[in-house]
Formats: sequence, C-alpha cells, structure tokens
Amino acid sequence: MLSDMLYRLRTLFRRRAMDGELDEELRDHLHREAEKYRRMGASDEDAMRRARMALGGQEQVRQQCREARGTRLLEDFIQDLKYGVRILGKNPRLTAMIVLSLAIGIGANTAIFSVTSTLLLKPLPYANADRLTILWLRSPGIGIPQDWPSPGQYHDIKTQNYVFEDTAIAIGDDYILTGVPKAMKLDGISASSSLLPMLGVKPLLGRTFLPGEDKPGSPLTVVLTYALWEQTFGGDQNIVGRSITIDEKARTVIGVLPREFKLNHEVVPTVGGIDKPEIFLPLPMDAKDEQDYGSENFNILARLKPGVTMQQAQADIDIIAARLREEKHRDPSFTISVVPLIEQVVGNVRTAVLILFGAVALVLLIACTNVANLLLSRATARQKEIAMRTALGAGRRRVVMQLLTESVLLGVLGGAAGLAIAAGCLFAVRQMHPGNIPRLDELGMDFRVLAFTFAVSILTGVVFGLAPAIRAARIDLNATLKAGGRGLSNGGLNVRRDKLRGALVIAELAVSLTLLTGAGLLVRSFVRLVNVPPGFNPQGVISMQVDADTAKYAKPGQVIQFYESLAQRVRSLPGVSGQGTVSALPLTPAVGWGFVYIEGYVPPKNQPELQVDYRLASGDYFGTMQIPLVQGRLFSTEDTEKSPPMVLVDEKMAKRFWPNGDAVGKHIRHNETGPWLTIAGVVGVVKQYGLDTDTRMVVYFPLSQRPDNTMFLVARTTGNPASVADAIVQQIRALDPGVPVYDVAMMQQRVHDSLARQRFAMTMLGGFAFLAMILAAVGVYGVMSFLVTQGTPDIAIRMALGAQRGSILSLVFQQGMALASIGVAMGLIGAFSLTRLMGNLLFDVSAKDPLTFVGVALLLTLVSMSACYFPARRAMGVDPMVALREE
Amino acid sequence: MGDERLELPQGTLDLLILKALALQSLHGWAISERLQQISREALQVQQGSLYPALHRLERRGWIKARWAISENNRRAKYYELTRQGRKELEVEMLAWRKLAAAVGHVLDMA
Repeated sequence: MLSDMLYRLRTLFRRRAMDGELDEELRDHLHREAEKYRRMGASDEDAMRRARMALGGQEQVRQQCREARGTRLLEDFIQDLKYGVRILGKNPRLTAMIVLSLAIGIGANTAIFSVTSTLLLKPLPYANADRLTILWLRSPGIGIPQDWPSPGQYHDIKTQNYVFEDTAIAIGDDYILTGVPKAMKLDGISASSSLLPMLGVKPLLGRTFLPGEDKPGSPLTVVLTYALWEQTFGGDQNIVGRSITIDEKARTVIGVLPREFKLNHEVVPTVGGIDKPEIFLPLPMDAKDEQDYGSENFNILARLKPGVTMQQAQADIDIIAARLREEKHRDPSFTISVVPLIEQVVGNVRTAVLILFGAVALVLLIACTNVANLLLSRATARQKEIAMRTALGAGRRRVVMQLLTESVLLGVLGGAAGLAIAAGCLFAVRQMHPGNIPRLDELGMDFRVLAFTFAVSILTGVVFGLAPAIRAARIDLNATLKAGGRGLSNGGLNVRRDKLRGALVIAELAVSLTLLTGAGLLVRSFVRLVNVPPGFNPQGVISMQVDADTAKYAKPGQVIQFYESLAQRVRSLPGVSGQGTVSALPLTPAVGWGFVYIEGYVPPKNQPELQVDYRLASGDYFGTMQIPLVQGRLFSTEDTEKSPPMVLVDEKMAKRFWPNGDAVGKHIRHNETGPWLTIAGVVGVVKQYGLDTDTRMVVYFPLSQRPDNTMFLVARTTGNPASVADAIVQQIRALDPGVPVYDVAMMQQRVHDSLARQRFAMTMLGGFAFLAMILAAVGVYGVMSFLVTQGTPDIAIRMALGAQRGSILSLVFQQGMALASIGVAMGLIGAFSLTRLMGNLLFDVSAKDPLTFVGVALLLTLVSMSACYFPARRAMGVDPMVALREE
Repeated sequence: MGDERLELPQGTLDLLILKALALQSLHGWAISERLQQISREALQVQQGSLYPALHRLERRGWIKARWAISENNRRAKYYELTRQGRKELEVEMLAWRKLAAAVGHVLDMA
C-alpha cells in the first residue's frame, strides 16, 4: 500500500520525464516491430505501417498508461487548476469581483465562527472543564429564579451526594491591602482548600491551600494572582513566605497563581459582585457554619465523577433538595440546580451568538448566489469553448469537474482574502469591547478557525459552482457551434426564460429580507430600551466606590463621621451642585437585601418571609440622582442615630402594600422582634439591575441610622467631569489615604455600558443585514443588466416597431419588480417563522412587529427598484439601428 | 475512454507478463514477442495493452524497470520481477490452475 502511494507520488512529480520515457519505449517497440517485418521482406514503409497497426493508437496507449499509473484524477486536477488560473487571470475584473464578494462572505463567517468557537466550543481553561458544575438555588414559585446557596446546604451536598468527585464553597468580597504606598482595594475569593486543586491550578510559585488549611484556627495565608504579584509586588521571586497586610491582618503569602489563571465574575458570580479576584484566602468553616442554612451568600462548585452525566447529578441533588425542602420548610418550588460551568459562562449569550452565526451564514449564502449568477453569465459567454471541448471528446463529468475546479479555486482565493477581512473584524470586535460578553478576551484565530475557513472556502466553491457547471455541461452541441460566436440563450426580454437565475435572485432577496427583519426588530427593541426611563437622571453625575473599612471605622459613629466629613469636602468643591452616597448604585453589581415585616400584614401560609432590596443612602442622594420624591419627605440632617428610626420605600413597594397611597407614616421592621421603623416618604422606582430587568421592592435606610463602610459616592457636576472626579478622589485621599477609591465612572457611562450586549447584537446583526441587502441589490442589478444585454436585439426590434422609450423602461422595471415581489413575499414568510427564535433578545417588541415587517419589505422593494434603474436606463438608451446591425 | 479490445481478462495478461519475466528480464517489445511465441495459436495479445499493464504492475511493486543498453546498442527499458512479484506469480499460477481445474471439472460433469 505504502509503496503504491510512493509510486503514485513519484509519478506525479516525474510526470514529464515518465511521459518522455514512455515515448522512447514505444518508439523502440515500433522500431523493433518494423525491423521484424522488414526481415520478413516488407518494404520500409510497409513494415512501419504494419508495426503501427500492431501496436494500435499510440495516443490511446499513452493515455491508458497514464491511467495505469493511478494519477489520472490528480493530473486532470492539476491541468484544470492551471487552466483555471489562466482563465481567471484573463478576466481580472470579474475575478476580483467574485473574490471580493466571497472574501466578504467568508471573512464575516470566519470572524463570527471564531467568536462562536471561542465562546461555545473552546473548553474553559480548567482541568476536566467539562465535568465542572456550579450549583444554584431556585424558587421560581416565589419569584426567585436564582439564588446563592448557604454553608449548611454545602455541607449537606458535600456529605450526601453520590455524584461529585469534589466540591468547593467560595464567597467573594472586597479586601483592603495596606502596607503598600497607596491603600488598595482588592477583589478576593475566600474558598475551601478544595477549590483551586479542583480547577486544576498549578501554582507558579509556592503552593495552593492544603486540605485542612481551611479549618478555623489555621495560620492566616493568602495566594496571589499573577497580575497582583506582578503589578503590586513587582514580580518578587521571593514573595512566598512574605507577610502582607490584608484587612489589617498579617497574612503569609504561600503561592502565586500562573498568569493564565482567571476566575472571573462570569465564571463564578459571587455575591459581592467582584469582577476579577486578585487574592484567594482560605474560608474557615466550623461545626456551627455547617448548620448555617440562612446565609445564602456562597457559591458551590463541584466536579462530577468521571462517567456521571449532568442528568444523573441533577437527579442525585434533587433528592438532597427535596430533603431540604421538607426539613427547612422551603417553598414548594425550591430546587437546587446543577449547571455545567460552561453553561454558566455562555448560557445567556448562546442564543445571540447562534443567531449571529446563522445570520452570517445567510450572508455567505447570498454572496454565493451572487457569484453563481456571475458565473452563469460567464458560462453563457463560454458556451462555445465548452461545446468545443465536448466535441473533442470531453465527457460531461470532465467538463463539470473543470468548471468546479475553477469555482473551488475562486472559493479558496476568496477564503484567503476572507481571512484578512476576518482578522480585521476581530480587531474591530475587540476594539468595540462589548463589556459584558464573556470570554471575549480569549478571542483569536486558532486551528479550528483556520480549518473552518478552509472547509467553508471549498464548500463555497462547490455550492456556487455546481449549478452553473452542471448547466454549462448540459449544452446543446450542434446549436451552440452553429450559432458561432453569438450567445445562444437569446431569450429576449423575459426573466422567466432564465428560471435558474431568477430563482437565485428571489432566494437572495428572501434571505436578505429575513436578515433585515431580524436586524430591524433588534433596532426597534434597542430604541425602546434606550428610552426606558432609568428612574434617575444620569446626566452629569459622577460616581465612585469608597471603602472605609479599616479599624478606624469599626464603630458606627466613626464611619458616619467619615462620610459626613467627606460630604462637606465634596460639597464645597467648585463645579459640584449636589452629592450623596448609596450602598448599591443602580447598574453596578452591588446588591443588598433583607427580610421585611410589615405592620398589619401577615404573609400567606407556606410562603417564605418577605424579602426586599435594602439600600442605605446619605446626603442628598435622591436629589443628586434626581430620583423623584413621590410622597412624604426625604432624609434630612435631622435624622440621626438618636432620632426615631425612619426609612423610605420605593413606589413599587408602596403600591404593593399601601395601594391607597397612604404609605407615609406606616411601619415596617426587619425582624420579628426589632423596633418599628416609620416610613417617612415614597421615592420613584429605579432600574437597579438593568434597563430591561424588573426591579424589586426597595427600602432605603439613612446611613446615619444604619451605617455601612462601603458606599458609592455620587456627585452632580456642571463642570468638566474628569477634573471634578479627580478633585473628589483627592479630597478622599486627603481625608484618609488608607481608604481606597475605585470604579470611578460617569452614570451616563454606566447606563451606556449596561446596554453593551444589546448594542453589540444589534450592530452585528444590523451590519450583516446591510451586507446582505447590498449583495442582494448587486444580484438584482446583475440579473437585470444581463437580461438587458441578452435582450438588446429584442429591445431594438420593439423600438424599431415603434415602442416608446418609456414603455421599454417600464418593461425592464416590471421584470425586475416581478422578481423582487416574489423575493419579498417569500422573505416575509421566512422572517415570520425565523424571528420567533429571537424572542429573548427582544425588548418590548413583538417578534411579529408589523411595523418592522412592513418597513423592511418597503426598504428592500425600494433597493431592488434602484438596482433595476441602471439596467433599465441602459435598455432605454439602446439605439435600434446599431443593435440590429450588430445582429 | 478507449475500450481496450482485450480478449484476455485483465488479470490473465498480468499473469502472462509475470510468467514471461520469470526466466529473465526483458524489454517491452521482447515481452510482447515472447507472449506471442508462447501463445501464438491460442491467444491474441494486443500489443497496445502491454504497456498499461506494465505500468500497473510496476505501481503494484511486482516488477521494476531499469534502462540498459540492448543487444543492438540502443537504450531500452528492461523489466524484471521483484521478490514480491515472484511470490505473486506463484500465488496467481496456483489460483489460475485451481480455477481452470474447477471449471474443467464442472464442464466434464455435464
């Protein structure tokens, strides 16, 4: 077998030499054979003739020998390829047009494929990533779609499951690093010792936590991430063993993680909303913690045993959840769900990415259709060449193969150019940096992408080449050759004569209409979304997070005092017209909630206690954010630790419990025995979690009565926001350099960023739809102008017989619009059935939004009309005398 | 695609070529002469089908070719059996004999 392959290979490279040898061999044979006849007495001439007859047709022998070498297919292919290159070179403009259309189509596909591949196909960068899961509590029956588990639940799962090889519990938090030039806020994850080994992390320096190092009373240790080690500790090779101060406690650095290790928010969304952890700490758990079912603030991660499926794991955890539901009196809809980690990361962008992928595949399909149409026109021009080949004995298969080789060659050229376009697109996507799309920093071209592009290029070549090739090979020999140089398919001025081309254009129009509809719906929802009132006025508001969380602020009075001095300093800054603080700023990951008991309200049986969002605020937070006061009054300087406790509620809560508008003066409390708090006012509803997300009921506490260390400072400014922000940061540093300030951003920016995902989807789909529309317009133009060229004699005759130029114009238009209207109608049907898939990408717009459907249909009709215009004008300009003489 | 007017099944020609080369290495024309000598009466071997068969056998690694100066001082391409070719010849001969015997047996029975 191997020697056979080698022989074929050698033959391929020595083809010319072997042909020469064969000729020599045959010549030798003829000589000897002729010699034989001469010896038998024949004349020279006669001997040669008889020798030739005995040997048979030399060309046939040669051909059969080549076949016997087993390289005929390949040799044909090489021949076709060479010919193809020549043909393409002869018509550089057409070639460039085709390669460019394909490059756009394939390039866009490659770009989106690399996004898809990065997001959905590439495994997460952890050991055995396909077996990693994250566990969530769910109580859909009482409006809690997803919640964090508690240490008690972790203990039960850890000790009672049969499906996990390993489990880990973690919680995220902010920490303060001191003992460095400027106090820094650090994002950290405290976790059981099992977490890092479970993810398969091999430390760069030192080690990770040992089993047992997470027991209470163990020495205080810390593991640093690469970035922190590099930036803050200057990449100190001797850091292991060094002591650093975190939250005012000395901790020994035991290890540094490798540069590529990340455990971002998108992978493990911790309750504290930390984005990228910079330190890992052991999470001590004692027997009391194991019984703590109340603090539902933790993440549970687990790795399946090999061979256990997600369904099996879920079934096993369902048993534990059922027991908890029973023993801990959870609501009937309570479950614990096992979510594959990759699903956690990309679950909510999957639809969007797949829709984009579908869209871009449709763009490529349209590009192919266009190229097929171009090739069809060329095939018509090449009819004579093909007829000649057929007459000389080329089989239909051979002709199809030759034309296919040409189109595949075009496809590959398009693919190569497409790679460049894709690289450009990826660059653009990275520049656009659509914030909250996961894994985008891993984006790049890898072998998968290259293989994909190559496969698509070949496939593209076959797809757009097949129809023209088969049709070209089905040529009527006699008729074509008799027709001489003139084209044959002179069907006059009627698109219906050329069904294939017509069908291709209809398909293009239909597909681009579907895309346009999808894009239109996204644009409409985006406009709706942008116009959702956020409940505050982001214009001119600077915001930043302040973390006064050191021993100096351990007592409530101290932290209140700090924020009061800060308020005074900020207020006196030039350009600041208002300031305040809040514990959870809208559109940030910060959250806060708690139980609430309402005077005179008894929750129905079997329902959990009422939970609402808690927010603490100070200064003129509501005025600065321009959150309207609906009723009663706001916080004032009169509300102090000593004054009667009071709260504000938002309108949502007021309407739910005091629908008669008499909330002010009523009482609530946050546990069953605590003091009653008086509702002093009702404020407007604020879009806390995103413009497209429903809010929860909110209780606002005055910071003076319920102090907290970590607050967002907001300030309304009329001046230059950047310099005012700098001035504020300086004031905080002047007040206490040990208090970190971070996450400085304009509120407008936060609103803008919160729409990043929707904007990204809209821009991409819009871009693709636009491309599709342009390509479809080119398609209509191509067909109509071909039709006019073919139909010129027909037009000339009509004109010679007295047809008005206007009627010629309307004739061409009629033909084009006949195609367009069928395409639009079919596209509407396609869009109607496909846009349903987009349901969860849309906001406040129906997937069957009539305005969008009518709008895009009109748009595409207009575009088709303009595509018909130029060919129609040319038809009108036909000079009958000239045209007929040419015939 | 020319149809080779072979009156020999393809495998048979290959077998005959291998047999002809079993004694000594020969050039193309000599193989054709040898085949005609052996089988002049019984079989018609088309000279033209000889060369494709030689290429095929070479590809299979049963024969190999080298250029040499022939008796009349001309360059000629000589073919010889490889070890594999020799084995193949025996296998093929055995198979052929078995087939011939079996066919003969069937015909005799009738």
